[in-house]
Amino acid sequence: MLAALHSLATATPSPAPIPGAGLFTASYLLSICIWTPALVAVLITLMPNPRGRYDSVIRNIAFFTNLMLMFVMFIAYNQFESFLPNVQYEEKISWLPQIGAVYHLGIDGPSTVLLILSGLVGIIAVLASTGIRERVRSYFALLLLTQTCVTGAIAAHDLFVLTLFWSAATVPLALLVVGWGGARREAAAWRLAGYWGIGVVALILAVMAIYAGSGGSSFDMDVALKSALAPRAQVIVGIAILIAAATRLPLFPFHGWARDVYAEAPPGVVVLIAGSATRLGAYLLLRVLVAAEPDGARLLSPLIAGVAVVTVAYAAIAAMRAADLRHAGAYLALVPGGITAFGLSALTPLSIAGAILALFTGGLASAFIASAFATVSDRAQTRSVAVLSGLAPRMPKLAWLTVLAALGVLGVPLMATFTSNEMTFFGAFKTQPVGAFAVAVGLALTAIALAVVLQRVLFGPPNPDAPAVSDTSLGETWYLALLAGGLLWVGVVPGGPKIPGTDFPLFDPGMLNVMVADIPEIVSPYTGTGP
Amino acid sequence: MKYATFVPEAILVAGAVTILLNARLQPGLHRRLRPRLPWYAAAIVLIALGVELWAGANVGTYYDGGLVQDRFALFAKSAALLATAIAIAATDWPAEDSLSFSLAMPMLAAFGVMVTASAGDFIGVWAGVEVTAAAGLAMLAVRRPDLAMRLLLAGGAAGAVLLLGLAYVYATSGTADLLGMRSVLTDVAPTLPLAIPVSLALGSLAFRASLSPLQVSGGPFTPPASPLSTGLVTGLSAAAALVAAVKITAALGPVAAVFGPFLEVVAVVTMIGGGAAALAVRAPRARIGFLAASQGGWVLAGLSTHYHAGTGAAVFLLGALVIAATAGPAVMGALGAAEPTLAGFGALRPHRAVALSLCMLSLAGVPPLAGFFGEFTVASALAGAGRFELLAAGLLGSVLCVIAALGTIRVVYLFNPLEESRRAGLVLPVWSRFSAGAAVVLAIVIPAYSLFANPILSLAFQSAEGLGLK
Repeated sequence: MLAALHSLATATPSPAPIPGAGLFTASYLLSICIWTPALVAVLITLMPNPRGRYDSVIRNIAFFTNLMLMFVMFIAYNQFESFLPNVQYEEKISWLPQIGAVYHLGIDGPSTVLLILSGLVGIIAVLASTGIRERVRSYFALLLLTQTCVTGAIAAHDLFVLTLFWSAATVPLALLVVGWGGARREAAAWRLAGYWGIGVVALILAVMAIYAGSGGSSFDMDVALKSALAPRAQVIVGIAILIAAATRLPLFPFHGWARDVYAEAPPGVVVLIAGSATRLGAYLLLRVLVAAEPDGARLLSPLIAGVAVVTVAYAAIAAMRAADLRHAGAYLALVPGGITAFGLSALTPLSIAGAILALFTGGLASAFIASAFATVSDRAQTRSVAVLSGLAPRMPKLAWLTVLAALGVLGVPLMATFTSNEMTFFGAFKTQPVGAFAVAVGLALTAIALAVVLQRVLFGPPNPDAPAVSDTSLGETWYLALLAGGLLWVGVVPGGPKIPGTDFPLFDPGMLNVMVADIPEIVSPYTGTGP
Repeated sequence: MKYATFVPEAILVAGAVTILLNARLQPGLHRRLRPRLPWYAAAIVLIALGVELWAGANVGTYYDGGLVQDRFALFAKSAALLATAIAIAATDWPAEDSLSFSLAMPMLAAFGVMVTASAGDFIGVWAGVEVTAAAGLAMLAVRRPDLAMRLLLAGGAAGAVLLLGLAYVYATSGTADLLGMRSVLTDVAPTLPLAIPVSLALGSLAFRASLSPLQVSGGPFTPPASPLSTGLVTGLSAAAALVAAVKITAALGPVAAVFGPFLEVVAVVTMIGGGAAALAVRAPRARIGFLAASQGGWVLAGLSTHYHAGTGAAVFLLGALVIAATAGPAVMGALGAAEPTLAGFGALRPHRAVALSLCMLSLAGVPPLAGFFGEFTVASALAGAGRFELLAAGLLGSVLCVIAALGTIRVVYLFNPLEESRRAGLVLPVWSRFSAGAAVVLAIVIPAYSLFANPILSLAFQSAEGLGLK
């Protein structure tokens, strides 16, 4: 098992090509993925909608836009040539030559994983938003603008473009929380804006330090991230990147926004934030620190591991003590992010590969647990864990889905999180044995917290004084089932299904096969095989 | 055709004087023209802009170096004219006091900015700043004579200090010519006696630019000053002062040590102070004023780098600043006086609401709008110069600004409209195709500034080189 996992992440000179890959190329595929949601957002904003007459049309437009985008992203994923270690679907247009900014887009293995996650989460977020009744036009416009920002940050291959999209995501998300959130939405939105604002400041400082350190001529990642900074500069950049990532992922002590936002935002927004927007934190850590500043990454490795350990342990203990079900869901949603960060801190090929897979699996697991608990509290008409009891017989579908969400966070076999967690732990034991043990203890605490919460809420004796409950609606079942399906699909066939007796993929080349592209280059400073 | 370069200035002055005289001498004709007068005024400014873009490309020196047409002048004049045209077209005229006066003063203020931008010596710089400030004060005086009197006294003192500082520099260098001064000052040592008057001069410009904490307790931003007069003070007056600062710092480049630390301190205080003040106030008009002040701090930070990339970036940002700060207060009309009255503005006046939101977000530096591009280019110049402390302060100020801007946008879009009786007598801007079209143009110009950032930034960099910076 270990050998099989290790072989996935070890640098091999010529990995086997995925049959059928590379047949399709499109010059502006990534731009289409980025700008289509923004264009549709503008169109639905301009669309007349007297007294909400076309609310359902707007909902459908948002859904089919995301469906079309998922199709395009799936083409990118399906046609991705994993035996090529370079960036694919590249677009490069000079933007601000005076400062060296280029509209440079491109994806490699890790970004393809995130791109697919973003597309999937986009559809799920729309499905989870069927309950939105007020200002539907503005809601879906902001949701689509967030999609643009997330996809843009994933596809960016220029630090200016990355900063632009990364920073821009704050505005539509804060407005979504403040406009459609629960009773404490104002505080939640301002916390989100404040913490993410700190992250933006840290990111821009890091980007500017890299820019200045690389000669001040280009923001292009091919130039700026390839230049060797002095170790001290790498540490400074690394600390700034760690702060930026910690505000977004989130990691302790920059997690202050997460509880309120996950507890107050509507489920669709929770899915979007927990599923894809926050994964950009780990992606930044991978792309700018681990892949580009190896000396800084090595020196900061214990710090990142410590932060990850504290995040997982804190999340589990806080979830155990939470009196509010949505708060418990919010805390549990922090766990996958902590494990991802831990995988990156270990700096071994296997742990980094595990962390890359965890970008996908952790996004789904976080979104699943936070939105499942949100749906339970909506359907039970209360968020109080003291009041909620014995709900499973009265909401069987939702109970099953919530249990699946819990299993997803824990990373049990058949769930995609199992594969990523195993890779992370096996990889990390070599360099971070104490940290790996501590994260494992944290995960055990998480299991206890989940057992306590689920036993109390779903399987305890029914509370006769509790408000009336109902099971999930069709829309809620769909979006939760899609989250569960995503986790199970990658968990059961991480290498993609094959036509029996052949190596030909049925339709999915496999997440593990796609993500390995570029991993050898990323891990090369840590294996001694690199330049 | 040698003097065709100055036709735009002539058009503006002639237009303003004609509007004023027509109202005074031919009231009948003025009444007949009244509904379309803003159209005509906006058209006059746009014609001036067209001529500027056509004739202004010819670089040259006029009146023995008294006036200069270079890339910097072309850039600054075009930005001021565009901002003025949009502001005039987007203004809610029932919220203003006197149509003819309110049309003429922005044109004269723009003329002041153009004089400053074309000035070849200290006298021109000073005169341009004072003309713009006088136009702003005259607008304020219509409704707030008390405030205008206060600002007149303070502004007069600031003008005198500016003149005094410039006179000292003239005495030191022996020339008032801005381009010639650079070569003269290369042999002058940066001394404290030189630093004091230069700092005083730049301080007075910071006052003129309404940069915090030098503005008089937010006076021009507070009600009942009219919306356009606020735009004039926060936009065009500030632009004139900042244009003057660009020219003076470029001329004093060889002795940058005499003003560098002062400029950095003012920039830090302004960037953070402006952001904090924007967060503290609730009135949208005041908030725009403080957002503009904070972005003005970024301009100063760019100037403090003393090299062409920093100044070019500052000039680029200045263009974005002047458009958003001049037109922003105008688009919300009388409702800008209090935040609750803007509730539901997005549903009631969607065109104006979009334009207002984009102006505020641009002033806050939110991507992908003009302000973000400007601030990012300044940030890259600061990084290039190793000024990370200034960069951190600016970013902190920007975060405060973003939160403040979101506070207003939340009310505009996410609150239900108030009943008429609860608007405290503040009426919604009148809807007309003309003003709605102007708001749409403003909403297009701000993102377009980013889309066409390359040629605009290129012109801004050329303008910095035109000022003699390397």
